[in-house]
Amino acid sequence: MDFQLTEEQKLIKESVRDWFARNLPLERVREMDTKGHPYPQDIPKGLGELGVIMGTVPKEHGGQGLDWFTQTLIAEEIGYADPTIACAAAFMAVATGWGYTLDKYCSEEVREMAIKPALKGEKFVGIATTEPGGGSDVAAFKSTAEKDGDEWVLNGEKTFISGVEEAREWGGGYWVNVRTGEPPEDAPHKNMTSFFVPIDAEGLEPDKPYRDAGRNALSTGGFRMENVRIPDSYRLGEEGKGFYRTMEGFDNARLLIGASSVGVTQRILEEGMKYIKERKTFGKPLAKYEGIQFELVELYREMEATRLMTYKTAWMQDKRYQDGSFKPKDVAKWISMIKWKAPHLALEAANKAMHWLGAAGYSDEYMFEMAWRGVMSYCVGAEGGENIQKIVIGRELLGPDYVPYK
Amino acid sequence: MNFIVCVKQVPDTTEVEVDRESGTIIREGVPSILNPFDEFALNEAIRVKEKTGGRITVLSMGPPQAQEALRKCLAIGADEAILLTDQAFAGSDTWATSFTLARAVEKLGKYDLIFCGQQATDGDTAQVGPELARQLNIPQMTYVESIEEIDDGSVICKKETDGGYQRVKSGLPALLAFISTPAFEPKIPSIMEVMGAKSKTLSQWGIDDLGDEDGDYGLDGSPTQVIRVYSPPQRGEGVIIEEPPEVAVDKLIEYLESEGII
Repeated sequence: MDFQLTEEQKLIKESVRDWFARNLPLERVREMDTKGHPYPQDIPKGLGELGVIMGTVPKEHGGQGLDWFTQTLIAEEIGYADPTIACAAAFMAVATGWGYTLDKYCSEEVREMAIKPALKGEKFVGIATTEPGGGSDVAAFKSTAEKDGDEWVLNGEKTFISGVEEAREWGGGYWVNVRTGEPPEDAPHKNMTSFFVPIDAEGLEPDKPYRDAGRNALSTGGFRMENVRIPDSYRLGEEGKGFYRTMEGFDNARLLIGASSVGVTQRILEEGMKYIKERKTFGKPLAKYEGIQFELVELYREMEATRLMTYKTAWMQDKRYQDGSFKPKDVAKWISMIKWKAPHLALEAANKAMHWLGAAGYSDEYMFEMAWRGVMSYCVGAEGGENIQKIVIGRELLGPDYVPYK
Repeated sequence: MNFIVCVKQVPDTTEVEVDRESGTIIREGVPSILNPFDEFALNEAIRVKEKTGGRITVLSMGPPQAQEALRKCLAIGADEAILLTDQAFAGSDTWATSFTLARAVEKLGKYDLIFCGQQATDGDTAQVGPELARQLNIPQMTYVESIEEIDDGSVICKKETDGGYQRVKSGLPALLAFISTPAFEPKIPSIMEVMGAKSKTLSQWGIDDLGDEDGDYGLDGSPTQVIRVYSPPQRGEGVIIEEPPEVAVDKLIEYLESEGII
C-alpha cells in the first residue's frame, strides 16, 4: 500500500487547481449561482481542452485513458473550486460517470455523434432515469420502447434530469431507460433496456426547468417522448439488461460526486478558518473559542477520514475495471458509503461554518450558503439520495433477503 | 536553435510563515513550486521556440525532489530536463551554484541562448544568472522582459531600466535573465501534456558526470556562507486616525506626545 501520489497525479492536481483559480474563482461561482442556468460554455470547453472531462474514456476512443483514482483526484479539485457542485463539478461528474459508461456500451455511431464532442465540452451527455412515478425506485418506470423493423419507438416521460437546458443549447443527449417487455412480477428490474436518445430527436419535448433551492448554474428539468424513433444502433448494451448497466453508470457518477464533496468540505474549512482567525468577538478571535475550534477539528477529522474512504473506493474501482479482483457489488457498497457520507459532511460543514459567521454566513457575502444549498441536492436525491445509499449498503451487509423492495 | 533554461524549485512564498519565537522561516509543510521568474523565462523560451524551432533543455541544481519541478517544465513544453543532484553540491552559494551549472552547460555542448529567471523568490540574490554568464564567458542581459528579434547570430531584447525600457542587441550565445510582467499568465499544462511529459527524458547528473572534481562545488567551493536567516521583528498593530486633516493633525500630535515620541 502506498499513499504517495505519483508525479503525474500531483501535476494534474496542480493544473486543475491553477486552471480553476484563473477561470472559475469563487466570485464567478457566485455570479453563476445568482444568474442561473444555462451556464456559459467556456467552462466545459476549457475543461475539455484541459482533458479532465471523461478522462477515464480509453485513449482509442478519444479519452485520456486515466485510471479512476486520478479522475477522483480531479473531481476533488473541481469540488474545491466549485463548492455548489453545479458550475463545473456536476458537469464533470455527470459527463464522466455517464459518459464513460455510455462509451463502454455504445455503438461507433453514437460515439462519433455524442461522446467525442462531449469529451471536448462541446455537447452534454447525462442520465434520464427518474419518472414522475418513481426515481429512487429505479425499476418503477413506465416509459416503453417497441421495436419496429430496425428502429425503436419510445414513449414516456422523464423528470428531474440534470442539464436539460444545457443539452438543448449545446446539443447532446441522454442515457434513457425504457421497458422493452413486461417484467416478471418478482423482478421489476428485468426487461429494462437503455438507449442513447439525442435531445433534438423528433417527438422529444423538453419541459420548463425547475427552480431549485441550489446548484442553480445547472438546469434540472424533464422531457416527454411521443413516438420518438431511434435506430437500433442507439441501444446501449443488451436488450433487457439496462438495469445492470444503469447501476454501473450510477457507481461511476457517485464516486466522482463523493470525491467532489470532499473538495467542497476542504474549501469550506479553509474559508471558514480564514474567517475565524480574523474575526474577533469579546476581544478574542473566534478560533480561540472551543465551541468553534472543536467543531472545526471534528469536521477536519471527518474530512480526512472521508477522503481516505474515497481514495480506497477509487482504488477498488480501478481493480474492478482492471483485473476484476473486486466485484461490482463489492465496489458499490463502498461507493454508496462515500456518496452518502461525503455530501452529508459537506452539508454539515457548510451549516457549521454559517453558524460561525452568523448573519454574514447566511448572506451572499460568503460562499457557505451557496455551498449548503448546492450540496443538499446530492444529499436528497441527485445520483441517488442518502436512503438509497443506505439500502445498497444494507443489502451487502445483511443479504438480499432483507431489502425493503422485496 | 538550442535553448537552455535554468530553473529552481522554491518554497511557495505565499504560503510561508515566520516562527515568531525564532524569527526563522517555517519550511515544513510548505509546498514547493517552480520559481515564478524561471517559469516566465521558460514560457518565453517556448514562445521563441515556436518561431525558430529547436530544442529546449531545462537545467536545475537541487535535491532529488526537485525532479517534480522539472517534470512540470516538461509538461509545459520543454524537450528534456537535467537535474544536477549530488551530496557534493550541498551548501552551494551562488558562485558554487553557477560553477556547477556552467559545467553542465559545457557538457551539453552547443547552445545558442540561456534563459534564467532574474532571481529566485527564496534567496532573492539575482546573482546566479550573471555569474553563470561570467563562468561561461558569454554576454549577458538582465532585467529582460521579452525577446523582440532573434536570428542565427544575434538577439534583440526589451530590457527594463529605472526610467523605462532599452532595446539591446547581443551576439550569440548569450545569457538572458528575465523579470516577469504583471499580465503574465503561465501556461497550465493539460492532462495530455502531463502524461506526455512522462515519456520525455529527465536525467540526473552528479559530480562524476560533470568532472573537474577539485572545482568550486558545494560548501567547500562557496566563498560565502549564510550564518543566519531571520525576519525583522514583528511590528505591533498601528494606530489609524480617521479624521479630516485639520482634526487629524492635532490628534496625531497629541498621540505622539502621549507616547513620549515628541
